[in-house]
Amino acid sequence: MDLNRLRKEASPFKIQTGSALVVVTVLFAMSWRNTEMSLPELFQGWHHMQSYMAGNPDIAGSSFFPPSFIARDFTVYLRAMFETIEMAVVALVLSVLLAFPLSLLASRNILKVLLPGRTGIPRFVRRSIYVSAMLLANVFRSINEIVWALLFISAIGLGPMAGILALAIHTGGVLTKLLAEGNEAIDPGPVEAIIATGASFPKVILYAVLPQTMPHFVSMVLYRFESDVRSASILGFVGAGGIGFYLFDKIRAFENGDVSTIILIIVATVWCIDKASAVIRRKYI
Amino acid sequence: MIRLKAVNLGYQDDTVLRNVNLSISKGEFVGIIGLSGAGKSTLLTSIIANVAVQEGEYQVFGDDITTLKRKGLRDMRSRIGFIFQGYNLVNRLSVLHNVMSGMLKTIPLQRSLIKFYSKSELAKAYEYMQVVGIEDLAMKRCDELSGGQRQRVAIARALAQEPEVLLADEPVAALDPKSATLVMDILGRINSRYKVTIIANLHHLDFANKYCRRILGIADGAIAFDGQPREMTKTVLNRIYRNTTTFSDEERVDHLQMLRKTACAGTPMGGGELETLSEAAA
Repeated sequence: MDLNRLRKEASPFKIQTGSALVVVTVLFAMSWRNTEMSLPELFQGWHHMQSYMAGNPDIAGSSFFPPSFIARDFTVYLRAMFETIEMAVVALVLSVLLAFPLSLLASRNILKVLLPGRTGIPRFVRRSIYVSAMLLANVFRSINEIVWALLFISAIGLGPMAGILALAIHTGGVLTKLLAEGNEAIDPGPVEAIIATGASFPKVILYAVLPQTMPHFVSMVLYRFESDVRSASILGFVGAGGIGFYLFDKIRAFENGDVSTIILIIVATVWCIDKASAVIRRKYI
Repeated sequence: MIRLKAVNLGYQDDTVLRNVNLSISKGEFVGIIGLSGAGKSTLLTSIIANVAVQEGEYQVFGDDITTLKRKGLRDMRSRIGFIFQGYNLVNRLSVLHNVMSGMLKTIPLQRSLIKFYSKSELAKAYEYMQVVGIEDLAMKRCDELSGGQRQRVAIARALAQEPEVLLADEPVAALDPKSATLVMDILGRINSRYKVTIIANLHHLDFANKYCRRILGIADGAIAFDGQPREMTKTVLNRIYRNTTTFSDEERVDHLQMLRKTACAGTPMGGGELETLSEAAA
C-alpha cells in the first residue's frame, strides 16, 4: 500500500458514510411528512394540555397538581404496585426459563459444540435449529405484550395470570435474542479447552460459557425486569392485572389527582429498581 | 499409545501435513520444532481429533480416532490433557474452579451445576496446584494473574484430568525466560513423577534440547527429523528452519538470530554450527 492509498483509505470522508447520511435524512424527511408531524401544531395545542392538566377548578381532584393523597386509596395503589412487581418477578423467571435454553439454540457457536461436524448434514441441522429458534424468538417478541395479554385473557379470563404469561412470552423472545448475542460474543478459547477435557455439553455450558456470559446475562435480565415492571403497569388497561387497572380507570374518570399519584408511584418504583440493578450489576463484573 | 501410519492431516481441501509416520509410547517427552505455520499445532491438535484425518491410519490408545463418536471421543479426550497456547482459562472464575474444570468428566452434573466438590476432589486439585506452585492463589480470579501464573493454572487444569498424555502447544512462547524455565521444569517433573507422556511444541531449541528426550522436526509439510536431541545435525536444522515458503529471507535471518540468542543462553549447539546456519541463511 502506498501513502496515497493509505490517505484515501484512512480518510473519514467516504462515499459509504455520505450515502448512509443521505439515506437516513431522506428516510427521516419522508416519514416526518407522511406521518403529518408538525411542530407548529404542538405549539398551538400546548395550552390545551396545560388546561387538561390543570383540570376544571369547579371539580375537586380533576387537576394533576397536587397529586391526591387519601390514605385508603394510596394503600390500594401501593398494593396494586406491589402486585405489578410480583407479576414482573414471576414473568421474569418464566421468561428466563424459556429464553436461556432457546438462546443456546440461537447461538451458532454453541450449536457447534452441541452438534460438531464439518460435513453437510450436521451443518444443515445446525442451520435449521438456529433459524427455527430465531424465528420463534422473533414471533414471541414482535407481538406486543398487550396483544399477548388479550390472547391469554381470551383463554384464562381477566386477571394477573394473563398479564404474567403475556410478559413472560414477550420478554422470553427479547431475552433469547439478547442472551444469544452474549453467547456468540464469548471467547472460544475456554470452550475449546473444556471440550478438550472430555466434558459433556451441559458441563461445557456451565464451566466455559456461563461464567463468561454472566455479566451480560445479569445486566440483560435486570434491564428486562425494569421494563417488565413498566409494561406490567400498563397491562391493567386491558384487565390483565396490576396497577394499570387503576391508572386507566382514573384517566377515564378524569380523576387526575389520582392519575398523578399513580404515575409518581410507578416512577419511584422504576427509579428504585434502577438503583438496585446498578448495585447488583457492579457485583457481576 | 499414539500411532500414525501414512497419515495426511488438514482442513477442508487443504493438506497441512503429508505422510506422517509416527509412534509415541508411554512416558516419552517429545518436543516438536519447526517454523510458525509449519504444522506443529496441527499435529498436536490432531491427537485430540480436532483436525480432519484425510488419509492413513490414526490410532490413539489403540482406537482409530476417525471412528470415535460422541461418547468415545469424550472418553479419549479425557485421557489427554491439553495446554493451550493462549492458556484458554475462564478469566472470571477462580483458579480453583479452572483447575476443577479439568475434572468435569468425573464430577456428576448436579454437583458441577452448583460447583460443589467432594473432599477427595478438592484434595486432588490441591495436590496438582501444589505441583505447579499456585496453591496460594486458589481463590484468586484468573484475570488477576500474570502470564506465567496463568500458564501454571492451565497445567494444573490439564493435570486434574489425570491424563496419560499431556499435549502442550507452545507452553513457554509467551513467557519471560524465568517463567519459561519454571514451566518447563514443571513439565519435566510431571513427566518423571507421574510417568505422563508429554508432547510439546517448542520455539526454543535450547528448551527442546534440555528437556526432551525425543525431537520431531517439521518442515515442508512433513516430519523432517525424528530422533534424540544429540542426533540433530546442522543439515536437519537447516532443513527445518530454512526450507520454507511461508517465510521471507529477512524473516529467516531474524529467526536464526533469535535461535542464536537462545542457543547462546543454553549453549545447546556448538558455535560452529550456528555460523554455518547464519551463512546458509544469508
